[in-house]
Amino acid sequence: MMKRKKSAIIALTLVPASLCVAQMPVNGGAPTSAALPSSFDASGSSVKQATDDPAHRGETPNPQILGMEIPLMDPSTDTVKYNGGLFDVGNNAAVRARFEKFLQQVPDDTAESKRYRALFEEMLRLTRKSGRDKDYAVGGKTLIQVGKMLYAASDYPADGQQSGTLATAIVSALDVQREVLRRDRENERLETDIKDLLLKADKFQNSNVHRKTAVSVGNAKLGDKMGGKIDSGGDLNALRIAHYAKTAGKKEATQAANLATNEATKIASKINYQSVLMTMLLSRRFDHACIGARVYRFIYRDGDTKLNLDKNSKANEVFTGGLGLPPVVNSIDSLASNMRREVDQSIQAVYGMLARNKLAEATQHLIEAVAIGEYMQSVATFPTDARQRIARYWTLRKRALTALNARDYATVEEVAAKMKEMDVDFDDSMLLSYTTGKKRQSDLAIRNASKALRAGNEEDFNKYITEAGIIWPRNPNLDKGTEMLAKIDEGEPVKDEFRRLYEGKEYRRIAREREHFKIVAMDPDLSKKYEEVIELVMRMDGMLAQIKEVAKQDNSIGPCMAYEKLVEWQKDNEKFANDSEMTLTLREIESNAHDFVQALRDGEACESHGEYGSALACFYKAQCKYPQSTIAKDGIKRVMNVIVKASYE
Amino acid sequence: MATRRTRRGGGKKRGKTNLNPLLIGIGTVLVLVLILGSGIFKKGSSVRGLEPTPNFKVSDYRRDGSRFASSGNVYVFDGRVENIETIGNSRILSISIPENPDERLPLLVPGNVHLRVNLTRGDRFLFETTCCTGRAGDGTQVKGVLVVKNVESK
Repeated sequence: MMKRKKSAIIALTLVPASLCVAQMPVNGGAPTSAALPSSFDASGSSVKQATDDPAHRGETPNPQILGMEIPLMDPSTDTVKYNGGLFDVGNNAAVRARFEKFLQQVPDDTAESKRYRALFEEMLRLTRKSGRDKDYAVGGKTLIQVGKMLYAASDYPADGQQSGTLATAIVSALDVQREVLRRDRENERLETDIKDLLLKADKFQNSNVHRKTAVSVGNAKLGDKMGGKIDSGGDLNALRIAHYAKTAGKKEATQAANLATNEATKIASKINYQSVLMTMLLSRRFDHACIGARVYRFIYRDGDTKLNLDKNSKANEVFTGGLGLPPVVNSIDSLASNMRREVDQSIQAVYGMLARNKLAEATQHLIEAVAIGEYMQSVATFPTDARQRIARYWTLRKRALTALNARDYATVEEVAAKMKEMDVDFDDSMLLSYTTGKKRQSDLAIRNASKALRAGNEEDFNKYITEAGIIWPRNPNLDKGTEMLAKIDEGEPVKDEFRRLYEGKEYRRIAREREHFKIVAMDPDLSKKYEEVIELVMRMDGMLAQIKEVAKQDNSIGPCMAYEKLVEWQKDNEKFANDSEMTLTLREIESNAHDFVQALRDGEACESHGEYGSALACFYKAQCKYPQSTIAKDGIKRVMNVIVKASYE
Repeated sequence: MATRRTRRGGGKKRGKTNLNPLLIGIGTVLVLVLILGSGIFKKGSSVRGLEPTPNFKVSDYRRDGSRFASSGNVYVFDGRVENIETIGNSRILSISIPENPDERLPLLVPGNVHLRVNLTRGDRFLFETTCCTGRAGDGTQVKGVLVVKNVESK
């Protein structure tokens, strides 16, 4: 993981922000918002991992500079492949930011810009011709001309000193080549010197041989005459030969050192220069890459154009194309030229789509063109009115994406409708299917929450209402859930109040404030009591209404009948004996059936005091007032039994 | 109409005649004999001569029946039988008396009392009763019960 980050940081220093930043989330896996839908296809992530990629099978990308893959656009998926990750160029934050900046910029068609582009046109023309025309051979004059033009182009601010860098690389490479040449010439000179020394050594060696032959074969007299001078001359020659041999050895050593230095310097120089070319390619300075690649063979004339790429790197795969052939510098030219052509074609396609009002497709192609060829003329000079049209559409698309990320599905649908208005070919089916599905899910969760609330299951209610909020935070139906939640919060004091009133048998008050106490229905125990109270009070009210009607029917029997019914009901429902409405009605009826009621009460009082004769007379009296009286009849029967069974003296 | 049984004689008028004292004495003895004789006849279940108890108010009885058990004790009612309830050998009559037509007076006819008249609903009778305090099986007092002793057809 650390190595991956390191590679990303290295790339950051070399590759422009858009794609470098774009690769960052890849190394760490999915972006933080991966859990949320962030693209129109609702795939859940704007970055798709290339699962078949070795980088995602646990392998570490090559940290070497040339081990980094170059960004390649895949038109089939609208993605750019970079460092093992696939980036949706329309949904990547860095690409979006860069694209928005591009849309707000004015076309780069100033005089200075035109001069800059003219310089490159000229350099490309010169370097293109140099390969096939001897007059334009990049050997001396033309190469110098290209170098001068590169330095001139580097003055243009938008160039970002890239031309200067390339020019410096060329000059450095040429300096190295000159130094190599100097050493080669020095070696040639040394070779001549060594040959001379060896020749001289041979000469003195031969002289010594002749001298020795003369002394030994017949020239003894001469030797005697010389008196030993011949021997001393031989020693001198030997000394000379030794000196020459030593000097030649030194020169050979210098020669070998020069050769080694040259080889090492050449390789280092080539790597440096190829690094610059790759940097140009990676930073999408395709013009620079083309020019640099074309002059390469005129800088390094040894015919070795092999690119020093790591065999396992993706870049190597890109250049070799899986054929197994070694990548060469010309491949950079080829690749960069291809990119230029792709970008130009994309821009042409954008013009065509804009003319047919196909804003969705035009926007997508422009994003791709900007992502790949931001610094190219066709992109930089894209006209303002076309940029504004796409910017309006892009703003809507961005709003839709933001709303989608925020799970604000109503806004998504609203924006999608506007996009459809702008571009009738805009395919909103997948988008609308997604939002509709999510909205339904949220509504269903709210319905479940409501059911849980009715069932008094607070835990389920909380679960479902939270689920509904997560799925669609701005679901208007959530307000109902919020109200329900507020009620739950208020519920405990209300429950306490309900319990107090229930225990105090203040059922009438509960029934009167039934809406206030409705929340207790969440508690299974209290729910039963609540329903019981409401039902009984309603039944009692109905009964009281009926009794009042009965009491009104007849002046003598009606009130008696009503009283008796009321007392009977009261006995059956002792809980409601103290009900205010019942007490009031009872008092009213008692006043109308005073004699009857009094007789019954006197009868019961006498009975309780053992005055059975009087009690029986009282019940008879009550019966006279209301012959159908059950209370009187029961009293009579009860008292009679006592009287009859008693013994009298 | 219940009337008080009174004897107001016109002896003063006769006293002014010149009768033999012996005759007067014999007459007095005869009268006394007659009086005593009538009393003996009465005790022999004869209903002749019953007169309703005057000023009896059912409402007073309802209020405090046991009070009637200690003041003379015997009450005669001229009343109409409204209802008869038979429980075992005993009967409880519900009668209405002319002074209190909207009241009913309960009378107990114990099983051991044999009446010479046949009690029928709707007929009027003279009821001679005693206000008694009985005792129930559990020992509690059963106060102010009018127990019928005699009934005379009217």
